Formats: sequence, C-alpha cells, structure tokens
Amino acid sequence: MTAIVARFRGLPSVQVTLAVALLVLGFLVAAQVAGEKPRAQYTTQERAPLIQTVIDLQAQQEAFKAKILELRQKIGDLEAQDPGAAASLRQLYADLEDARLAAGLIAITGPGLAFRLQDGTPGAGVDSLVSAQDVRILVRELWLAGAEGISINGERVATTSAVIDIGGSVLVNSAYLAPPYEIRAVGPPDLYDRLRSSVAFADFVQGRIERNGMSLSVAELASVDLKAYAGTVNLRYAAPAASGQP
Amino acid sequence: MNSRHVGPAHGAHEGGHARRIPRADTLSSRLTVAAVAGILGILAVGQLRGQSGAPGLAALSATDLSQLIANLTTGNDQLRAEVTDLEGQQGQLQDARDRGETAVGSLTSDLARIRAWAGLAAVTGQGIAIVVRGPIGGDGVEDLLNELRNAGAEAISVDGTRIVTGVVVAGAPGALSVENDAIGDTFEIRAIGSPQILTGTLTRTGGVIAQLGATYPDAQLTVTPVEQQTLPATDRPLVPTHGKPEL
Repeated sequence: MTAIVARFRGLPSVQVTLAVALLVLGFLVAAQVAGEKPRAQYTTQERAPLIQTVIDLQAQQEAFKAKILELRQKIGDLEAQDPGAAASLRQLYADLEDARLAAGLIAITGPGLAFRLQDGTPGAGVDSLVSAQDVRILVRELWLAGAEGISINGERVATTSAVIDIGGSVLVNSAYLAPPYEIRAVGPPDLYDRLRSSVAFADFVQGRIERNGMSLSVAELASVDLKAYAGTVNLRYAAPAASGQP
Repeated sequence: MNSRHVGPAHGAHEGGHARRIPRADTLSSRLTVAAVAGILGILAVGQLRGQSGAPGLAALSATDLSQLIANLTTGNDQLRAEVTDLEGQQGQLQDARDRGETAVGSLTSDLARIRAWAGLAAVTGQGIAIVVRGPIGGDGVEDLLNELRNAGAEAISVDGTRIVTGVVVAGAPGALSVENDAIGDTFEIRAIGSPQILTGTLTRTGGVIAQLGATYPDAQLTVTPVEQQTLPATDRPLVPTHGKPEL
C-alpha cells in the first residue's frame, strides 16, 4: 500500500491531470451518446441552424404565453376592482368568470390524478416510443371517466387542442413536448376507480403499454394543479350566432 | 530537474539532449491537457444545453424540425395577435375606469367571444361538412376530430352535438355514441374554419381520411366545403365542480 502511494506521489502532476481529464472526457462522451438513445440521431449540417431557430421560437412562445396570462390576470383584476358596479354589471363579471373557468382560461386545483407515460427500454423499436395517439387515448379515457380538466406537461387541454406527432415527440397547443409525458387530471375523488373500470383503458394498458415495454405510473392526489390555457381564443372564421339560432 | 517528467526510454534514446527533451515533452503534455480541457468544455456545454434548452430536439430529423418550425411560427403568430387583443382590452378597461365609466361593450363582446370559443354558445361561419357512411370506430372519429383541430377548426359538431372539452365519441364500429346518444352508421361531422385548409389537411395523400379508409374499408367519408353553417352550443356544464380556481 505504501509502495503504491509512493509511486502515485512519484507521478508527474501533468500525467495525473491528464488522466483525470481523460476520465471525465470518457464519462461525458458516454453521457452524450447515452442521451441520444433510443431515438435516432441525425448529423446533417443543416440541423444546427434549424435547432437554433426552434429554440428561439420556443423562447418567443414562452414569452407570449407568459404575457397572455399576465394580461388576462390584469383584466380580471380590473373587472373585480370596479367599486361602483351595478348589479347587472356584477352579473356580467360573474358570467365572464364562469366562461373563463369553463374555457380553461383560469388555473384550477382539485383532487385528481398524475400520470407519467414513458418510452420503453432503449433499442426496443419504434413501438416502444410513446406516440401522440397514446397520449390522446389516455386523455380520452380520462374525459370519459369524468375529468374536469387535463394538462399534458403543463399544457392545458382546451376545446381546440390537438395532440400530434412530431418526430418521436408530440405537439400540444403548438408547444413541443418531449417525453416523459406527465398527464394531470382534476376530477371527482373516485376518478381512478372510474378509469380502471373502463375496458378500453385496460386494453390500452395491457395491449399497448405493457406489450411494448412502455411505462405508465399514476399517483392519486388530493390536490392537482392545472395551469390556465395560454393560447388564443380569437375566432377568425366563427362568430357567435344570432340569438334564436340553435 | 526534469528527469522525473520524462520516461527513461526517451532519455536513453535522445542521449545528449537530456535537458532539452524534457522541456519539449512538458510542452507537448501541456498542449495535450489544454486540448483535452477544450474538448471537455465543448462537451460539457453541449450536454448542459442539450438538457436545458431543447429536450429531444437532437433526435428530430431536418424534416421534423422544419415541420416544428412551421407549427411554432403559426402558433406564435396567433399568440402575438392574442397579446395585441388583450392589450387593447386592458387599455379600454383602464381608460373607462379612469373616466369613472365601465366598458360594458368591451366586456359583453369579450364574454360572447369566450362563450363561442368554449362551445357555450352557438356559432356560425364557413367550414366543411363530412358525411360518414358505414361502420367506423370511436378511435377513428377521434383521430378525425384531432386532425380537424390541428388544421385550425374553431368549432366542431358530431351528429348535432357540439364537441367541447370532455366530450368524446366512443364505441366500437356500429355502436358509436356521443354524450350518451347513439350515433348511427351514417352521420355528419361539421367544422368551422378555412374550408380550403380543412379539406386539404383531411384529404391529402396519406392523410387521416386515407388512413381511416385503410382501417375501416367499409366506411366512406365525403368532405364538402360549406359557405355558411351554424353549430349548436353544448348542453354540457363546463364549469368545474371539483376543481377550484387557484388563488
């Protein structure tokens, strides 16, 4: 032991530094390679500027969404602070609050479930990757079980929300979401019991998740927070129908 | 002084240059360390950026990235318009408040807009009608509805029922239902939006209608542009009863 220590002390400091640096380099290379699996890698030159554009657009999207939520909050505060509001106006404010709640424009909290849906083991093939269809099935089953509100990786599912595939990830409300997917739902306290009683849900878990090595875990929570929908509610083609129409 | 920095073999081979060789070797060692440190730095930065800024982007092909950019650009344009709209609304409310008045008109139109968007009020506009004839499963109809939303549909109805959050078309082929109402083998889906975009998205080669045709060969789907149509309001109560607004 003493001989080993003595020999180690005898090593030039440059060699020790080099050895440590190479060790760390090895770890980083391994981490980099492991981080890319199981999804395919592409190494073409044109990808770098495209990725940078995506990152810039995502940052822009986050800024817009934050601004929208901030403005909606300020508008709500202005309405709530109207001191001389007549009864009819107070009713209008209450109707607005209800409409925003119904539309998912207000963050809510309540009893519910938090699911985590993950890809299967690396190298198990494309069927082991969570697809938009998988996310949609889970969302659909939660609605059928009585969920009142749902979010996917923080994106509130609204009446116009689509969940589509993009590469091996998904887009929700035009937001790019990478796995694992956390799907949260607020609903009645027996939401999970209702969900488990669904034949379609059991088929999904056994026939799709388990068969392909994916992972689906769930937590029943007394309090689940759902963010507000931060997208647009502007109508370009549709207009409120004149009263009297169906 | 440098003998311990140099391996004996080097010293033996170079003979009389014993004092100069160690210097050269030290220099090369330092250069090697510097090069390794440089690579380490680049990899560490790459690792950190990969983990924080763009999860999963490294796995996307150039085609996927281009599609993502198109989606993000369109979405951001809509968000920008929403910001402008909300700023105008806030300004009107603030001005009215400063004058001691109330912007009833602005509030009423905002209420109408949100109710129409959420499905709480009937809406009218151009779009498409899809007639489905033959057995099709609830999954297939839901795929169709998802594609309509992706193509920008602002309101959708199935067999006269407005599709809002929580409403699902479910069931096996021949046993479809929506909101506990059975749907026959022939029914109509209506959507308000751009007729060209909606039709083009659904009917493109390899699109959702082609996929449904392969999955449900006995079902026929016909898409027709409509200049003006009215979709009903939902009967479903949408205000959460178990979920409460966050304070």
